[in-house]
Amino acid sequence: MFTNPSDIVITEPILPIVPDAAWEAEVKRVMGMVPLYMRRIAPSPWLRGVCMDWTTYQFDALPRRLADIGFLVTSQENSCRYCYGVARASMRLLGYSEQLITRIEREAQLAELDPGERAFIAFCRNLARSNPRPSRAAREELMALGFSPLEVAEMAFMIASYCFGNRITTLLACPPEAALEGLAKGWLGKLLRPLIANQLRRRPLPRKESGRSAATLSPIARALEGLPAAALLQDTLDAAFASPLISARAKALMFGVIARTLDCRFCENDMIERLAQSGMSNAAVQASLASLSDPDLGPAEAPLLAWARDTVRYHTLDIQQRTHALLHQIGAERTLEAVGVAALANATVRLAMLLE
Amino acid sequence: MTTALSIALALLAAGLAVLLLRARARNRGMESLLADRAERLERLETEFGRFAPSAVVEQITGTMERMASGRRCVTVMFADLREFTRLCESTDPAQTVSMLNGYFECMTRAIVAHHGHVTQFIGDGLLALFGALEPNPWQAQDAVSAALAMRAALADYNLQLAARKLPELRFGIGIHRGDVIVGLMGNQDLSTFTVVGDTVNTAARVEQLTRVHGADVLITEAVREKLDSRFRLTELPPAPVKGKEQPVVTYAVED
Repeated sequence: MFTNPSDIVITEPILPIVPDAAWEAEVKRVMGMVPLYMRRIAPSPWLRGVCMDWTTYQFDALPRRLADIGFLVTSQENSCRYCYGVARASMRLLGYSEQLITRIEREAQLAELDPGERAFIAFCRNLARSNPRPSRAAREELMALGFSPLEVAEMAFMIASYCFGNRITTLLACPPEAALEGLAKGWLGKLLRPLIANQLRRRPLPRKESGRSAATLSPIARALEGLPAAALLQDTLDAAFASPLISARAKALMFGVIARTLDCRFCENDMIERLAQSGMSNAAVQASLASLSDPDLGPAEAPLLAWARDTVRYHTLDIQQRTHALLHQIGAERTLEAVGVAALANATVRLAMLLE
Repeated sequence: MTTALSIALALLAAGLAVLLLRARARNRGMESLLADRAERLERLETEFGRFAPSAVVEQITGTMERMASGRRCVTVMFADLREFTRLCESTDPAQTVSMLNGYFECMTRAIVAHHGHVTQFIGDGLLALFGALEPNPWQAQDAVSAALAMRAALADYNLQLAARKLPELRFGIGIHRGDVIVGLMGNQDLSTFTVVGDTVNTAARVEQLTRVHGADVLITEAVREKLDSRFRLTELPPAPVKGKEQPVVTYAVED
């Protein structure tokens, strides 16, 4: 595990920046700035919308401090060069001491944290790493330490959402936000820290209300009932499956592969049911999952299952090289969609594991 | 009286200030020592990564305990160079070491690319595991895919050896799947993350059968039953192996 973002070696970016003035204006309006990765995902309407909604989600059930620490720890655990660098720089600009950050990165037991925060860090690392996979017992342990069920549900969603973001930027090999990292290290950042911290803490402008009723939630999203995250997750899943660039069958199989890699029967069965509704027999699904291939997928979708499996646990450089290979096989548009689906599946399955 | 009290208070304050400064200096010293130790541990982790898989190193350094041993289903691969001992006798020692290191480099790359890891180099042989470090539902096909990649890598490596006017290398690979005990094994001075059990012995015996059957990659029934139709296999006649009452059925992997 890396303890310094600059130690993480990455490839050239998988996809170029695509200028889109209207989109960038919308990002700036909501977030107050335009993160570089938002420009790379601009060509995918569903993915860019989801990324903005997830990035600006307010974890109101939890103290801000946990959200900051969670972003750092999850990004470090996922060896995400982009997010780890952003998390570290943001924490410095928000006023966390270098000493505290270093201790969280290296040895949380030595950091000035309370037992609940230490348990939260361990939970972040376990869920992000998922080897061995955590389960319902991990949630119950946190509740025994005094966290409410709603807080634990939000923690799980928080880590899942960071895992999602980590995979988007890692799989696309997004270069670091050099300006932000430089600002955090330089004298100007120190001088302007209160102003910058104020800007970073600013609540993003609301985008849209989901207006979804609990009855329309899938069992996985229902695990987050009581939080705005429940509707957000369901909207995201629906948007991902509705996009036509990759077939729903291939996407469901990608989810199934990721569920099987993480040994999540709950999600695997959910996807088998979804595929059955679209006419794929149980035997055919099992054969596809066992062989990481499906005879009914065309050449533009055939490589997706083996690649999806590699997105669960990876070495940053290796997975980026594999994603470059995928780009050559299936093209830029589908690669971007595949990155979004794989990131979403990794987040969703990690969340679902806690239900088992 | 008031002056004496003032002096006493001033002395007390000065004494406290000295104590505070000393405590802060000691604290700074401890901080710096801690940072130094943390850096050394990280360097050690990085260096130790050459001797054991990084997941194992992290588990050991993270928990400060011996890694928990356990029983799990793993696919075991043995690869051995044929007639390498005879080749050693006719080749310069430096060239032999260089050839062997190049070979191990190529083989390891092929194994790691297919989700396996090399746990031991034994002379001119190697022991690789699939599914030992993390659950892997595709471990059997990963191992066979790795063997095919190793075959291709060896062909490429032989071209390099030929260009250097060095003799060609040939290998035999045996693959078997089953329950093993995994853990850190050894003594206080020397330990390795490895596996033990009948599955390991059988994989080693199957590798020896490659000489009997004249095939370079052999798998057992336990591996074959987990493969899909993309692999082309040839069933071979049952052959007796040491330690097994019944002859073992193996399959040669064509492609």
